[in-house]
Amino acid sequence: MFGKLMMCGAALLLMVAEARAETIEEKVQACTGCHGEDGKPVDKTIPTIWGQQAGYLYIQLRDFKRGDRKSEIMQPIATQFERDDMLAIAEYFSKKPWPDLGQPRAPKDVAEKAVSASRSVGCPACHLDRFQGDGTVPRLAGMGRDYLAKTIADFRTRARGNNPGMSDLMLATSPDDLAALVDYLAGL
Amino acid sequence: MYVKGLAAFAAAVGVGLLSGAAIAQEVKQEKQSVLGNANVPPVTQEQLNAADKNAKDFLLTNGNYAQTRFYPGKQISRDNVKNLHVAWIFQTDVRESLETSPIVVDGVMYVTTSFSHVYALDAKTGQQLWHYAHKMGPITVYCCGPNNRGVQVLGDRVYLATLDSKLMALNAKTGEVVWTTNIADPELGYSETMAPTVVKDKVLIGTNGGEYGIRGFVRAYDAKTGKQLWNFDTIPENSVGVWATKDATGRDMHRNIQAEKDMLAKIGDPYAKLGGGVWQNPSVDLATNRIYFVVGNPSPDLDGSNRPGDNLYTNSLVSLDLDTGKYVCHFQYIAHDVWDLDAVSPTVLVNVKDKDGKTIPGVIHAGKTGHIYVHDRKDCSLIRFSEAMVPQENMWVLPTKEGARMLPGANGGVEWSPIATDPGQELAYAINLHQPMTYHVESSAYPNGKLWLGGAFKVIPSEKQSGNITAVNYNTGKIKWQVKTPEPMIGGILATAGGLVFTGEGNGKFAAYNSSNGKELWSFRAGAGVNAPPSSYMIGGKQYVVVGAGGNTQIDYKRGNNIIAFTLD
Ligand code: HEC
Ligand code: HEC
Repeated sequence: MFGKLMMCGAALLLMVAEARAETIEEKVQACTGCHGEDGKPVDKTIPTIWGQQAGYLYIQLRDFKRGDRKSEIMQPIATQFERDDMLAIAEYFSKKPWPDLGQPRAPKDVAEKAVSASRSVGCPACHLDRFQGDGTVPRLAGMGRDYLAKTIADFRTRARGNNPGMSDLMLATSPDDLAALVDYLAGL
Repeated sequence: MYVKGLAAFAAAVGVGLLSGAAIAQEVKQEKQSVLGNANVPPVTQEQLNAADKNAKDFLLTNGNYAQTRFYPGKQISRDNVKNLHVAWIFQTDVRESLETSPIVVDGVMYVTTSFSHVYALDAKTGQQLWHYAHKMGPITVYCCGPNNRGVQVLGDRVYLATLDSKLMALNAKTGEVVWTTNIADPELGYSETMAPTVVKDKVLIGTNGGEYGIRGFVRAYDAKTGKQLWNFDTIPENSVGVWATKDATGRDMHRNIQAEKDMLAKIGDPYAKLGGGVWQNPSVDLATNRIYFVVGNPSPDLDGSNRPGDNLYTNSLVSLDLDTGKYVCHFQYIAHDVWDLDAVSPTVLVNVKDKDGKTIPGVIHAGKTGHIYVHDRKDCSLIRFSEAMVPQENMWVLPTKEGARMLPGANGGVEWSPIATDPGQELAYAINLHQPMTYHVESSAYPNGKLWLGGAFKVIPSEKQSGNITAVNYNTGKIKWQVKTPEPMIGGILATAGGLVFTGEGNGKFAAYNSSNGKELWSFRAGAGVNAPPSSYMIGGKQYVVVGAGGNTQIDYKRGNNIIAFTLD
């Protein structure tokens, strides 16, 4: 009797899970084409979203939709979604494992330069220990090198204008310190 | 949610479907609460009122409503402190910045961690009685780490404010949630890291968000129901003030008043997005029914061009009526701040000598500027300020695009770290940072609740940093003694009737000093940054000292997860 109930309960659980999965899978199907089937982006300038902080993913989708963050690619995609969809999509991707892009560790001298620059501005005060991020602050450890370089450059020119605070910090950091940080963060 | 459902299913049928990595990911924040049973009697208002004379308990995060952090017990003394040793170590589930002030109620200790967890512990053994693991909303927006500084108990409830800006009452015995109230919208930059102050059935709470263009407040909520009773906007609708050109110490702040007036004519009063967070507990004057607290920086931190005027009541001491939340008085330290050298360390109520040498009720505050300010409690006016506890150079040079060097750096002086006082010796004890920095300005419009710094402050890597513990006579303003430390200090300090002060450092050292001359009498290596304020209490005739050793996010000190209690044999 007990065994039967267990089975029943388990089947029910799976069904519920599947029903939810279908709707969310539908919504995220379009994403895999660029952000990767296995979480590894298909192009080096596309960011990793698997395993990223849910709060951050939500805020980016919101900002793309509002036009606060400009992107010809992402803006039309995000525009289809309402707040609840965005939160669900963000939650979905945040639960996926962060992919290993196999990027090399930064050489010692580069790492030292990066750590010194990071101390100077205090990146871990927001991005937390080992650059894991939290809430609306993104994980940076192991992010694609070329994407990091691109988005940091975009912060500096304010082409990425959805976070003036980050732009200010990037402007206060010298380009060669930032280059070191890009290599260092990609290799974490 | 989907994955979590599956995980529960897998656990139920006993099949390990998920990889270790996926499970490990959940540990940080999503550890489940463990209800329990803490056998603790209700805390009465009378007990709280008399906390300053009670050596058995440590009922409020800063010791008592006056926030003296003066512990009246003296079993641990200058003579025997050398024999102090570890009684127990408790390891929390969260290994992140630890700023908690443990409180102790009749043998039960309540501590908090980053991400707003609460633990009830047996204060004698360190055994866990219950664990409340807050289910954090996805949107959290904060400036300086996912910190939490502690809780308070009234009756049979523990009051907690969470990173996602909720106020909660938990059952003090079991850790169950009694009520939850949303304080403000995290998506607009609001967060909570401070401990609430609970008095006369009111839960007093401020808010963080000065880096996000919030409009700050202090509020009172009904302790029984969580309903809001009053709200005081820390930024009044007329925030312009008196166009002060000098700071509290009389130094010119190089304001361009004409340019500000022109801007005011163009854009009007900037009060709506002006910041003004409140970082620490108010002190409560039970005799006059007033509260005293300090208000933090204006938004954006370094760019004053779009916020003409004095930016009241940022960087100010403020007093309110406890029952109504009505304004009583204020004193602004720095008008139109563009350095983030704001007011964050909690206020302390002590009797002080006025300018004529008469003893009057006073209120003191340790600033990021490195001065201890002494005020008349009646009208908030400044009586004196202390000698600078840290080097000051080039004040007040205006921030530039390339960066202008000025000391102190933007963390202080004295950060949020509470000070301690010893009224018998007329001394205030403060821990300080010395971090040479350059101040950079950039201009941008209000970014919808996003980080709004108006520039950056940068530590100069080639210059040596340090810290210090300083004892200041608040009746003369003179430094009595100072102990230099190898690294900038953040956390807090406790003074005891045993003639001691206890404080910790980012390198893991936790030490006791002779409170009259600063001589080091005992120390311990905790293995992670000791960046939290210590507390003390008695059980079974034995005095304990307890402190968190979990490092710090803001200054990036080595993280850990230990609560360590010490005692004598
Ligand atoms: C055609 C390719 C493409 C598709 C399809 C796509 N993205 Fe993107 N996405 C990008 C690119 C390119 C960027 C970087 C934009 C930039 O920085 O200008 C990006 C950025 C993002 C970001 C910001 C991440 C960060 O680290 O800042 C999020 C979140 C995101 N996409 C989510 C999604 C979701 C969810 C979907 C599916 C609903 C999706 N994307 C579909 C190309 C794509
Ligand atoms: C005061 C907090 C704070 C500090 C300090 C800070 N960041 Fe950020 N950072 C943020 C926030 C918040 C975001 C999200 C921006 C947004 O909302 O779009 C971010 C975003 C980023 C991104 C974009 C990631 C992505 O996926 O697109 C990079 C890269 C980055 N930060 C690098 C750095 C570096 C390097 C430093 C130190 C030199 C630093 N940050 C310091 C808060 C901070």
